[in-house]
Amino acid sequence: MSSIAKPLALPHAEEQEDPREQLMHDPRSRGEMNDMVMESMHSTTWKYWTVTGILAVIVVVCLFYAWYYLIMQGLGVAGVNRPVYWGIFLVEVVFWIGISHAGTFISAILRVLKVEGRRPFTRAAELMTTFGLVQAGISVFLHMGRVWLSYWLIPFPNERGLWPDFHSPLMWDFMAISTYLLSSTMYLFLPLIPDMAMARDRSTGWRKAAYRILAIGFRGTEGEWKNLITAMNIFAFAIIPVMFSVHTIVSWDFAMASRPGWSSSVFGPYFVIGALHSGMAAVAIVLFLIRSTMKNMKYFLRPEHFDLLGKLMLMVSMAWAYFYFNDYIVSWYGGDKWEKIVQEFTEKGPLWYLWYAMLFFNIVVPFAVLWNKKWRQTPWLLAIVGLLINAGMWLERYIIIPETLTINRMPFTWRLYVPGVEIVLTIGNFAFFFLLYMLASRFLPLIPVWEVQEGHESHTLRKIGKASIPTLSDME
Amino acid sequence: MSDLTMLLAVFEDIEPASGGIEKLRDLGVADDQMNVISGIPIKATILGRRSALTRVPAIAMTGAVLGMLLGLFLIYGTPFLFPLNVGGQPIYPVPQGIIITFEMTMLGLMGFAFIGMFVDSGFPSYTPKEYIPEISDGKIAILFRCPDNEQKKFIDALKKLGAESVELAEARQL
Amino acid sequence: MATDLQLPVFTNNSENELAGRWGMVIDQDICTGCQACVAACAMENNIPFVGEADAGYGRTMHWIRIERFWQGTFPEVKMTPYQPVLCQQCHKAPCEPVCPVFASVHSVSEDINLQVYNRCVGTRYCANNCPYQVRVFNWRDYTDARQRPELVTLQNQLNPDVTVRRRGVMEKCTFCIQRIRHVEDTAQSEGRDVRDGEVVPACAQACPADAIVFGRVDDPTSKVSKAAITSRGSHMLEELGTLPRVTYLAGGSAQ
Repeated sequence: MSSIAKPLALPHAEEQEDPREQLMHDPRSRGEMNDMVMESMHSTTWKYWTVTGILAVIVVVCLFYAWYYLIMQGLGVAGVNRPVYWGIFLVEVVFWIGISHAGTFISAILRVLKVEGRRPFTRAAELMTTFGLVQAGISVFLHMGRVWLSYWLIPFPNERGLWPDFHSPLMWDFMAISTYLLSSTMYLFLPLIPDMAMARDRSTGWRKAAYRILAIGFRGTEGEWKNLITAMNIFAFAIIPVMFSVHTIVSWDFAMASRPGWSSSVFGPYFVIGALHSGMAAVAIVLFLIRSTMKNMKYFLRPEHFDLLGKLMLMVSMAWAYFYFNDYIVSWYGGDKWEKIVQEFTEKGPLWYLWYAMLFFNIVVPFAVLWNKKWRQTPWLLAIVGLLINAGMWLERYIIIPETLTINRMPFTWRLYVPGVEIVLTIGNFAFFFLLYMLASRFLPLIPVWEVQEGHESHTLRKIGKASIPTLSDME
Repeated sequence: MSDLTMLLAVFEDIEPASGGIEKLRDLGVADDQMNVISGIPIKATILGRRSALTRVPAIAMTGAVLGMLLGLFLIYGTPFLFPLNVGGQPIYPVPQGIIITFEMTMLGLMGFAFIGMFVDSGFPSYTPKEYIPEISDGKIAILFRCPDNEQKKFIDALKKLGAESVELAEARQL
Repeated sequence: MATDLQLPVFTNNSENELAGRWGMVIDQDICTGCQACVAACAMENNIPFVGEADAGYGRTMHWIRIERFWQGTFPEVKMTPYQPVLCQQCHKAPCEPVCPVFASVHSVSEDINLQVYNRCVGTRYCANNCPYQVRVFNWRDYTDARQRPELVTLQNQLNPDVTVRRRGVMEKCTFCIQRIRHVEDTAQSEGRDVRDGEVVPACAQACPADAIVFGRVDDPTSKVSKAAITSRGSHMLEELGTLPRVTYLAGGSAQ
């Protein structure tokens, strides 16, 4: 007898309702979730303290001591020279600001669009924004020749009678990054208040005192919630254009300069997408680390969340490829003499392998891995892809800054850049970023419990036919 | 008129809580004599109440205007105080003005939204308040005032609707 | 035939305050590449010795450098004329607007790019945006005798009219502004105008071939104005529209 249906999939390939995959199939009460999050904050092992201690030592030696050395000796101990006046410090600035963009993207854009899957990991992403901006700020100060005078960039009435020059892209940058740092820190704090109240209600000792101060007396009355939600909505909408403006202005630091390889009008959106590219990838790494090292996190961070993140990474990777190609072909086709030289130097010069590595990590790797749902849902694999994307994006910034600066319109001055103390300080920067996360993971609830509960409340499992499917009711 | 007492009724779920509110209203408690305390934001219509007024948007808009004025002062006021020629660019440039004004407007908007949230809710306040820690475990509490001598009537009515407990609300150190 | 394109002319609102627009003409055809200007400039302007390692790594701090290139492939190589490059004192300088603290500003009276050392915070944006790559940075405390004891005796040769810069500060050619000021003050006290050829920057003074001519370009009778309008003259990277003040002469027989 001949079959009248297409060949059926094997039974094990059937899409099962796997409670391990989706948070909604395994809802728990708020009290239980509170206890789980509190437990994850309280449990510290010797491994945790060892890693924290090592990171702290690295920060003290590689960041603070090396910075002291840099200040005392001058920038001669770094690798910058003529014509490469901007080196790895600026690479780090762009890199960390890029990392910081993921927090806002996930938290604000996904909140505005009501993407439900965002709920458990908004906090971790928002922390990334603030901690990334701390590193970017440090890198700016590392870069300055006379950092002890950096307050001269702040516009305030002073006895010098002088105000900063708002003609300068660096001033725009200063204003934009300050705005972004302040607003993203406030935006991190707002959804934290109810969780601080939660932590206050179930802790003792010094933690109680600290949480009591941070919870600012929040009870959860109608008026308090209304104000909080209103403020969060204002932030969610307002911080999106600020986020776009910040990385656009960072790109203008380069695009405004009349240098071959920099003066490109597509730099703004290209940098924004690049920022999201590295930021999403960094979220994947951090979520993997949180999930695999902290207690109870496997409940909150499910394969569905990694799946969502993987899809976002894939989309951003495609967009990045598009913008990069856009920038590339315009210089290639335009045939400007200096642009051509810069392009040839990047592709065939002594650092040609960086260019190929960048394209491989940023385009080939995510394309090869992220189309597969099973692979997207594998946290360690997504973390590795994230790591490679971040390496690729770091190289992209390295190519744009020190490598492009090698070439200018005065061939007599062309000279390669060899990093010096920057490498040590970069290690210090990364260690500081992770140290802040390590400390925050034991002090701040990394899961916004009230938002997860809100998600549980607005979802119901509805039986349609033989399957039970989570359906969403709009409670906001 | 007799003295009023403050009572705190704790409910497990949203459904009975909204019933409780209706009952209280029937028993003659005015809308401004009750308040709902919850661990998640609950839309006022779900509870059958009118939503709370918030002054946060107004405060935020004020901040945006102030921020914009600050931005305009920085870009067009400071060069007036100390004009310097750089690269033949205008002393009062328009394109740069857009950037600085935008950033300062947004900073004012968000900064004041943040401050407004504090001001309108009376944060930070560390004085004792009527509260029980179970609320952050997802329970819903109705805080209301009722006449002293009719306490029993209110407690029985709410218990019948499924209140876990109805007790005298005592202000405690949070 | 030249067509008047009616292009908008750049106007500075302080144009009528001009005290003197200084300019320079460099004749590449008679430059011998002897580096005397480089040495003289270093002596005049207290430019520090950066040491062998830093010099080899592109951190020399000379305000003027002599560029020389080879044309063609070995063995058929030909030398191009020597090209002394110093700050072109652009009328529309790209280095100026990018400074966040007004350390690189335009002098409206002299029409010279100023670098205010004690206002500089060392972002090095100006150097990146300079198409001529003539700005130099104090990478270390090259002039601090406490760190480099060998400098103790050399300190006696410092020019008292010029400051000594410390680490973290950008600097560049000033057209020997101290000499311009000195001559202007002398002329004023004697109640006369500055004569053509009275101001001689260190590089021009040291040039054995007299390849560098300095003077006022707003005076059509000055030596420098006459030299600049010959058909051999050109401006460096003129297409960028920076309106440089230094004219290069090349491509003909020396006069």
